[in-house]
Amino acid sequence: MTPNRKPVELGRLILIGWMIAVFIFLFLPIAVIIIYSFNGGRNLYVWTEWSARWYGAIFDNPRAAGALFVSLQTAVINAFIAVTLGVLAGIALARRKGRWTGPYLALIFIILGIPELVSAIGQMIWLDRIGLFDGIARLSIGHSLFNIAVVALIVRARAEGLGELLEQAAGDLGAPPWRAFKDITLPLIFPAVLAGLLLSFTFSFDDVIISLFVQRPGTSTFPIYILSSMKAGLKGDVAALAVIMLLVSFLGVGLAAVLLSRGSRGKTLGGLVG
Amino acid sequence: MTAIAAPTIPVRWQNRRLLPRWTMAWPALAWWTFFFIIPVLWILVYSLGAKPAADVAGPVSLETLSFSNYGEALTGVFFKVFMITMRTAGLGTILAALVGFPVAYALAMHAPERWRSILVFLLILPYWTSFLLRTFAWRIILAPQGTLSDVLHALGFINGRLLILDTNAAVQLGVVYNYLPVMILPIYVALERIDRSLLRASMDLGAGPFRTFIQVTLPLALPGLLGGLLLTFILAAGDYVVPTILGGTKGLMVGNLVATQILASQNLPLGAAMALMLIGLLALIVILAGALLWSARQIFRVTRGAPL
Repeated sequence: MTPNRKPVELGRLILIGWMIAVFIFLFLPIAVIIIYSFNGGRNLYVWTEWSARWYGAIFDNPRAAGALFVSLQTAVINAFIAVTLGVLAGIALARRKGRWTGPYLALIFIILGIPELVSAIGQMIWLDRIGLFDGIARLSIGHSLFNIAVVALIVRARAEGLGELLEQAAGDLGAPPWRAFKDITLPLIFPAVLAGLLLSFTFSFDDVIISLFVQRPGTSTFPIYILSSMKAGLKGDVAALAVIMLLVSFLGVGLAAVLLSRGSRGKTLGGLVG
Repeated sequence: MTAIAAPTIPVRWQNRRLLPRWTMAWPALAWWTFFFIIPVLWILVYSLGAKPAADVAGPVSLETLSFSNYGEALTGVFFKVFMITMRTAGLGTILAALVGFPVAYALAMHAPERWRSILVFLLILPYWTSFLLRTFAWRIILAPQGTLSDVLHALGFINGRLLILDTNAAVQLGVVYNYLPVMILPIYVALERIDRSLLRASMDLGAGPFRTFIQVTLPLALPGLLGGLLLTFILAAGDYVVPTILGGTKGLMVGNLVATQILASQNLPLGAAMALMLIGLLALIVILAGALLWSARQIFRVTRGAPL
């Protein structure tokens, strides 16, 4: 024990304490919404008694069920687009580096960094001009742009981490390109593909801004339904629906994290914020 | 490796194009061009148009193009809200950095190694769950007739009820809350990469913990800190959900105003001009920050003789 060891220990304790406090702060609203979904009172803000009655009331609300169905359809179609295009782009970024990689990555970061509002306005204008797509298609396209970029980055990180030797070996042993891709590359990057699928689904399922602009009358998503019922005054059934939505997100992100941590830990996780 | 002589390598090896060059990146590029680049260019075109006369169908009249929407956007309410947005986003960014830096530091330097990835996961988890719902939860927490209000009143911190909902203060809180993970993560990544032997060397050479932090740790973490500041500011300045839910009519931000112009007032050209002014300013800030980081590197190289 050197004399100046004590203040260092104290500083360490303060820092750890601060960190724990901030983590509690981050999870506080999530905890609050879960607790208040069990508030039996008519006014959501005023706690009266424990009750699960709002969970029963969910099923009496056909508008909410319709919006939920729209959201699910959109999330699935969007995730399919995002994974198909994103996986191809990610592999190309990891395996076929060249002068094109710099500008291509710049475009990806612009898509990830631009305020969602701006992207949403552009898509609304353009999709209205084309006028080809129905509500679900518009929403799926709108959500997919961001998600393709996310999937491409995750797959790129995974493919770079694996190296190219096995694919080269397959080529040496006479596998045509498509077979090397199908039998070697795809199984190896599969955890990243699945994680990208789940994250794309979750993002679409939670999105507000893009949906608000590109939606058509009659195809409102679930978050838009929640937003509009918030304006009309809050009742417990919205909180109950919100908790179900949170559980879907937790499940999606949790599974994605488990899949990603099997590959390069931490490195790929870093790509998730953005 | 050198033991394998080059001539014995089969022809396939030298010619290994398992897949054609970068064709696999084309589908995504085509998709982005058609559904992202072209749409953003259309915003530019629409921003030069005019709101069509009442008897004309369509969202915009493109017969005479002019910059008058930009002029209109610079006057009156929009300019005021623009400045408020910059203040809210700027202050929110600074607060998030003050709250977040110690967290990133504790995570990188003091958290046990085996806990680290789970803690990083817990940091990201709220960010990937619905933004809308987390913001909405703050309405329950801050409600004038809610539990927090009662507790603060009972403790004597406030007279009467807690009245920050539907004001700028609530928006400020929402911004800091929502973007904290975005601030913490890049700082954490930068701090985690620091070679610990540099810190030990500084201590061995007689610098105390404080001086080591200021002269070694902080400069090395600067790129991460700058990344966090930029990301947080950009996301906060373009926010729509937080001011809509927590700001009411008093806590407006640019995002609301633009959305209102387009969705409610049916003035798409003006909304388009406002949106472009927002990203123009944000792009300017990114470029300035890049220049700042670059010149900071130059200065450090000259005075310390070591690259950042």
